[in-house]
Amino acid sequence: MEKGESTTMDANFDAYWDGIDQELAAYEARPQLEPMTRHSNEHCTVYALKLTSIGPYRLFGYYSVPHGDGPFPTLYNLPKYGSVNHVPDYNDRKRYVVLTLMYRGQRLADQPFAAAYPGLLTLGIDSPETYIYRGIAADCLRGAEFLQSRPEVDQSRICLLGDDLAVITAARRPNVALAQVAGLAFYRMMEAAARTSAYPLEEINDYLRANPEKRDAVARTVSYFDPQYHAPRVTATTLLNLGAEGSTSGASWQEPLAAALGGPVERYELTNEGGTDHDWLDAWTATKFGTEPMSKFIREFA
Amino acid sequence: MAARKPAHEYQVTLERPADFDAFWEKIMADVAEIPLNASMEHVPLRSTDEVDIYEIHYDSLDHVRVAGWYARPKEGYIAPPYPGLLIVPGYVSEPTLPKSWARMGYATVGVAPRGKLRSNSQFNPGYPGLLVNNIIDKHTYSYRGFYVDAARAVDFLLTRPEVDPKRIGVHGSSQGGALTVTTSALRRDVISCGAAGAPYLCGFMDAAALTHSYPYEEINDYLREHPDHEPMVHETLAYFDGINFAPLIKAPMFVYIGLEDDVVPPETGYALVDAMTCPKKLHASERCAHDAGRYWVMPMVEQFLAKHLQPATTREHAEPTIG
Repeated sequence: MEKGESTTMDANFDAYWDGIDQELAAYEARPQLEPMTRHSNEHCTVYALKLTSIGPYRLFGYYSVPHGDGPFPTLYNLPKYGSVNHVPDYNDRKRYVVLTLMYRGQRLADQPFAAAYPGLLTLGIDSPETYIYRGIAADCLRGAEFLQSRPEVDQSRICLLGDDLAVITAARRPNVALAQVAGLAFYRMMEAAARTSAYPLEEINDYLRANPEKRDAVARTVSYFDPQYHAPRVTATTLLNLGAEGSTSGASWQEPLAAALGGPVERYELTNEGGTDHDWLDAWTATKFGTEPMSKFIREFA
Repeated sequence: MAARKPAHEYQVTLERPADFDAFWEKIMADVAEIPLNASMEHVPLRSTDEVDIYEIHYDSLDHVRVAGWYARPKEGYIAPPYPGLLIVPGYVSEPTLPKSWARMGYATVGVAPRGKLRSNSQFNPGYPGLLVNNIIDKHTYSYRGFYVDAARAVDFLLTRPEVDPKRIGVHGSSQGGALTVTTSALRRDVISCGAAGAPYLCGFMDAAALTHSYPYEEINDYLREHPDHEPMVHETLAYFDGINFAPLIKAPMFVYIGLEDDVVPPETGYALVDAMTCPKKLHASERCAHDAGRYWVMPMVEQFLAKHLQPATTREHAEPTIG
């Protein structure tokens, strides 16, 4: 394929993902929850969660449960690209059960494998079987399975928040009600990488500059993680965060994904005003789950 | 319930210790005794037709080996000498490769102070953790070495023959904004200008009282567990507060903040700028949070740095600086 061309769904797509599910099923999650007194407060108890994923690999997560009688609406923060994910937000911990997962290689899940940034995005990328995201996606699915096993989680009110991994998780573990999706990297990745020199997609450009003969192999590998090919299995109401029209986060660029999603699709055009955007997105979930919308920016003090 | 006052009306409760300057002079004298021992390794994978990338290392306080990226224009693309630029990272982010700045003509270091990946074999308090690591002892508090590591990146730039030592700037957002302030103070005889977004580590205790967002929430979490430590925490943090570094800065500074920033309360941004005696400009963006209005402000940052550092081209543009 030529630089900037679109990919197609590989014929082996379904078998590949069924294989991941089967491999996950072969490992018990063996969840371990230890209270974290430092991060627990008058509203919630935060636990250090450990889970086994494929590999086998032991993952880490922050798992926060509000005080009081559940079950509670639940947020699942899918891990972002980078070494650190924060302890769940204070306001979220008041209102929701919250899981924030660290995939293999991220801090707190970096033994025995510590991910490199830049570097992770192309690790093992020559083949879908060796690509690091095969394990990372499995890690995210394992987190969803954990939530499905918990009595304090209201199984009818689970919201995923994240990037491509949120779409993949919503597709493969479809008992989620909502998905807020932003910051896609694998969506039309080969086309998007050709339009930018910004990291992390620049990692793809770096790799192909050094290994031009591998373009077809890389395109095939990343196509397995393209959310548009997972989208038909998604039943959740999906909120797509949109950037400027004409960009790789704009409405036109994301239209093939929106059209492919199996569930209802809503759109929010980001204003680039962080306060405005946060409050709108918070209220979107809160309204649908019957919780109180909250701003992170404190406007009144006791 | 009382409504929050406008940010510019807030008065931080910080005091400047009488021995603040002596404390840091001693630290900087100690590190001056340690040879920089800089190394550079070319990274062909990340280099392009315009820019060469190097992985760098140097020695810092307590002999901790610090990593970074060095991105410089290729001589066939832009001829030296180049202005030097230090890009300093946010709290949870790893330093990105500053390729886009090098394409503009800057010889640029993206530093990974101790505890960041590639600089964490000797010191690794983790995240969360860095903010409260040894927070009751100013002599071993995590930011003692962390601040010095950033300042030593300026020393690295000064070793490079292709860098014009009279044109060195520093820029970052969030913790990068804090490091812009501390580096401009600790290397005040070298730094020509600094652009600090959403400057973190300013008015620590006030900030922790004004927010529940991490990383400052680490302080609230810590004091919930150790309420008796509060006087010692106060004492330590006064030595590491950007507001107390501010009067030392000589170079022109551009500071930008978001007026709905839950991570770094805007009140502390105003206090920082008030404490600066150097030429300064503050840009506050309504309704913006920890983004500090970067969508609109990045062109101003580029213009500010270009005015003082005179890179070869302003046709290219930098990636938005994220803290």
